[in-house]
Amino acid sequence: MACLCVFFCTWSGDATAASRTVPLTILHMNDLHGHILPYLDKTIREDKMVSGAANFAAVIQRERAANPEGTILLSAGDMFQGTPISNVFKGEPVIEIMNALRFDAMALGNHEFDWGRETLGKLRTAAQFPFLAANIVAPGGAGLEGTKPYVLLKRGGIDLAVIGVITPETRYSTKPAHVADLSFLDPVSVMPEMIGRVRVEGAGLVIVLSHLGLDADQELARKVTGIDVIVGGHSHTAMTEPLRVDDTIIVQAGYYGIYVGALGLEVDSETRRITRYTTRDVLRPVVVDEQAHADPAIASLVDRYAQKIKAEFARVVGRAEVDLIRQPMAESNVGNLIADAMREAGGADIGLQNGGGIRADLPAGDITLEHLYTLLPFDNILVTMTLKGQHVLQLLETSGEQHTRILQISGLSVEYDLDRPAGSRVVQAVANGEPLKPDASYRVATNDFLVAGGDRFTAFREGTDLVYGDPLRDVVADYLRKHSPVKPAIEKRIVIRN
Amino acid sequence: MSERITVTVNGSPVEIFRGMKVKHALMAFNQDLYAAAAQGRILVEDSRGFRIGLEGALSDGSRIITRPSGGQ
Repeated sequence: MACLCVFFCTWSGDATAASRTVPLTILHMNDLHGHILPYLDKTIREDKMVSGAANFAAVIQRERAANPEGTILLSAGDMFQGTPISNVFKGEPVIEIMNALRFDAMALGNHEFDWGRETLGKLRTAAQFPFLAANIVAPGGAGLEGTKPYVLLKRGGIDLAVIGVITPETRYSTKPAHVADLSFLDPVSVMPEMIGRVRVEGAGLVIVLSHLGLDADQELARKVTGIDVIVGGHSHTAMTEPLRVDDTIIVQAGYYGIYVGALGLEVDSETRRITRYTTRDVLRPVVVDEQAHADPAIASLVDRYAQKIKAEFARVVGRAEVDLIRQPMAESNVGNLIADAMREAGGADIGLQNGGGIRADLPAGDITLEHLYTLLPFDNILVTMTLKGQHVLQLLETSGEQHTRILQISGLSVEYDLDRPAGSRVVQAVANGEPLKPDASYRVATNDFLVAGGDRFTAFREGTDLVYGDPLRDVVADYLRKHSPVKPAIEKRIVIRN
Repeated sequence: MSERITVTVNGSPVEIFRGMKVKHALMAFNQDLYAAAAQGRILVEDSRGFRIGLEGALSDGSRIITRPSGGQ
């Protein structure tokens, strides 16, 4: 790669080569997580909404118009899962928007597996651009069905290879059953062969479209030669300026569509090397204001789904024959319902839900999706782990100490004496019809807030064999669909003396 | 591959499960700090000074720094 030694305002590189250079623009997004509607993020702007597909579409169109023959548009993954308007339609609106905006390629992100392979296959089929994953190996040694390791694009007479890679930690961050038959290889081991292949096929520039996170992107750049640009995602890093590691330029455009990344390159048409690149202000903020002129076609597409989501939110998912009432300091019937749903979904011995995470009472009758968002407004997910009985006991003692945030339980019963000193308030705990055994192992279903140590339930940190599951709302919705009508009762799972 | 990773929050080591995110590290460190970040009262940055999102992925050795938010 050419020596980069001359700086021009926001550009870096060898200006003497300018007469033989081709201007290229890499537009990129990552980790949209379904944010196609604008929202308020006070850390970005106190007074204005940010993001929204109609708004980032306008930014993309404007940037593309500045270099129509030399622009590519890439996504570094995790585009679909994360908001009701995308989740309810399993990513369909996002794919439609990406098609309309003429994305050239997308790297698979770990959350692309959240809804299972069948849904991923439907998204792949609907996409008018390739899904890239060079480091996924399916049974038989082939790549993941329907994906490509790389794609070759041509802009301004320059052949560009875009190679996609996904984090090997995908196995830890999505439902294991969705990826059980797949191997996620170390990108460092895969990349030299991929670079060799694309060079043989004529690639002048090598772009890695990475869902690895910035730390891993830097490591990749240090260990593998021949990568010109890494367009990253996964760590949700808003890189206002590119990083340079040896001969590799690394960029990433934050998260949730707050920014569109715009990296300008000048490439020598003969040597096909980068002679200059933008070194500052490579993120275009997506802020909603009168000057921004949202894209009307995308606005119409989003509005169509916004109307449809209203009908989906009104859809009945189950029915309760009794009022579902919270009890912050005691057992509640709605707490029992949720803990039961968690235990069943996790195939666990015990279900544990923090009472503070249940935010509404519901009247007897039909339960809609909107009710579930009111009941469980936090975006918690199911987590299943193995805990020793002694650690379950510690959790119950913590619950007894801070009894305004009492744990709601399933598969377990506990009796507290609040007159006793903290740490010894559990008089009796029974699991599976027998006293809780300190040395026995129990499979426990809970949520990620508690597992992280939320509400000071630190004993979850002793867990092993942790498995991430579905969003808690989906867990409860599935339970209601299966068991309605439900009639949860107070069953003396939690007895409090004094 | 270990089931746990260690990251630092404002210089203090915090052990979390692999696959957990920035928000989980903040919860593990100090739940009030997490609440402040979720409400937009503080910004979260990586060791290079780049802003990171609460749902951002972490790797072993990641460093998280928080600072008061003033809007950007």
